[in-house]
Amino acid sequence: MPQIEITNLTKRYGKLEALSDFNLQIDQPQCVSILGPNGAGKTTLLKTLTNIIKPTSGSVTIDGISVSENPMLALQSVGTLIEQPEFYPYLTGREVIEFAARVKGANRAKIKEELDHLSNLLSMEEYLERKTGTYSRGMKQRVCLAVALVMEPMILILDEPTFGLDPRGMKEVRDLIINLKKERDIIILMSTHLISEAKEVSDRVIIVDRGKKIYDTANESNDNVVKVTLETPIDIKHVNMKLENVQLTFLNESTFLLKLLNGMDNSKAISQLLSLGYKVKWAEPYNDIEEKYLKSVSL
Amino acid sequence: MLIITILVSLLLTYFTFTYIPKLPSLFSNFKGFFNTPGFSQRLVGFLWSFVLLDLPVFASVFFGSPAISSEIETRTAFYVFPLPIPRYILLLSKYFAAVSVTIAVIMVYLVVQGIVFYMVFNGILLLPFFLSMGLTILFIFSIVAVTFLVSTIFNKNTYAYISVFLLYFLIFNAYSIISEVLYKVVPYYLLNNSASIIERVYLNISTGFGSFTVTPDGAGYSDILTSLIIMLLYTIVSLAGALLLFERKEVK
Ligand SMILES: Nc1ncnc2c1ncn2[C@@H]1O[C@H](COP(=O)(O)OP(=O)(O)OP(=O)(O)O)[C@@H](O)[C@H]1O
Ligand SMILES: [Mg+2]
Repeated sequence: MPQIEITNLTKRYGKLEALSDFNLQIDQPQCVSILGPNGAGKTTLLKTLTNIIKPTSGSVTIDGISVSENPMLALQSVGTLIEQPEFYPYLTGREVIEFAARVKGANRAKIKEELDHLSNLLSMEEYLERKTGTYSRGMKQRVCLAVALVMEPMILILDEPTFGLDPRGMKEVRDLIINLKKERDIIILMSTHLISEAKEVSDRVIIVDRGKKIYDTANESNDNVVKVTLETPIDIKHVNMKLENVQLTFLNESTFLLKLLNGMDNSKAISQLLSLGYKVKWAEPYNDIEEKYLKSVSL
Repeated sequence: MLIITILVSLLLTYFTFTYIPKLPSLFSNFKGFFNTPGFSQRLVGFLWSFVLLDLPVFASVFFGSPAISSEIETRTAFYVFPLPIPRYILLLSKYFAAVSVTIAVIMVYLVVQGIVFYMVFNGILLLPFFLSMGLTILFIFSIVAVTFLVSTIFNKNTYAYISVFLLYFLIFNAYSIISEVLYKVVPYYLLNNSASIIERVYLNISTGFGSFTVTPDGAGYSDILTSLIIMLLYTIVSLAGALLLFERKEVK
């Protein structure tokens, strides 16, 4: 199983503390999104994970191997996309990906297979043979993603993977991440500015502000609040739901939140609803990341 | 770079063919020496190798300076550094690539020189020519190493370019002059002074302050050996320094 462990990580740029005593542990295949305002320290965090910068103090390990001490081994099966890289402009997209595949140990047949697969996956066939110097931002971003994905890494570290892509490209990348998760036991650690994107693709969301982790869905008991959607709208003003150990908040006419009190579990809460004759279309654990974000992140 | 090299070599070719017969009258100070066999070739060789003290510096700065700094300036570092390639391999392959191109360019000059000498001196190429060539190649190894060391320090190409030039042409020279004026010693341990062996194998001209001595012979073997060791040391120390710095290099 792939594994990432960050312990008491501090990174200073001169006087500025970009990361302060940061801790993060990912020990099962999942997609983890990092949200946070500009300058929060997202990129800094991902850079220490990929040996682009070294920690001021603290440790970063991948599969138990220290990234700063043994980067070669630690990054063997890690695909990375950090801060919109550039390529040597005289190389074609194909050559850029080929080089990455080769240093990750691919032979000629494997290189061809990977190239065919990735160019199809990221819809790059049209310009793969052109020099990267002539690419648009979004084309480069796709090549970056291909470089990150080449040779089926067990861990993907992506800094704003949908940055600079057109709407279709964004959707394709999000679907790609969701599919990767489904197909393989892989850890994806990505940063993004889009709360909706974080919600859509990830199993766990972390909010970072001023170099500190201020929220982690893994630390919240998700079962506390359940979001319920009914099949038919009801009249909120006159409804009189008598539910035991549950606090009710309506979001609109067909959706509301159930806050479970006194150790009430969610299946019991739902069966109370059903016994009162409400038709439940959908119920899910509820985390309002957006609200958390706006509340906790400094202006 | 190649074009500059070719132009310079053509210029010297022209000069050689035009002035060979007039040499004794041009260098009337050395009149006595022209009886020494091979002196003409030594003198002309000395003049040709004059360029070899600077040309490799230009070429190496041109090919070597951006080696590391450009990775950061153009953001390709974000692509290359996280790939599982040991950094020392990255640095050494870039080093040997830069050394090879520099040697290739300088070789154009040396080959032209060889051909001209072959024609002018009736098919006789003296030992100093080959000594000078070998030492030039060693000089290239060391100046490229120094250039790489500087390149790993900076994140901007222009800083790397300027620093190598300043270091080599200004700081080394200034230090030499100050040392010669104040202490009357030539700091033989500076790279530019030891590189002068490239021309001194033809004619041992020493331009100590206020004195100017010429011998019709080239520098002796102990002189050559000293310079050889110094250039080797520069190569090894600079490369080791570059490797160490590069291993710790951050892309901020
Ligand atoms: N090379 C550097 N030198 C000095 N300070 C830096 C450097 N790089 C980043 N910082 C500072 O570190 C802090 C964190 O920056 P970082 O790039 O990690 O933010 P981020 O969360 O990725 O922001 P964004 O959303 O804008 O990409 C910022 O305050 C930034 O100014
Ligand atoms: Mg960032």
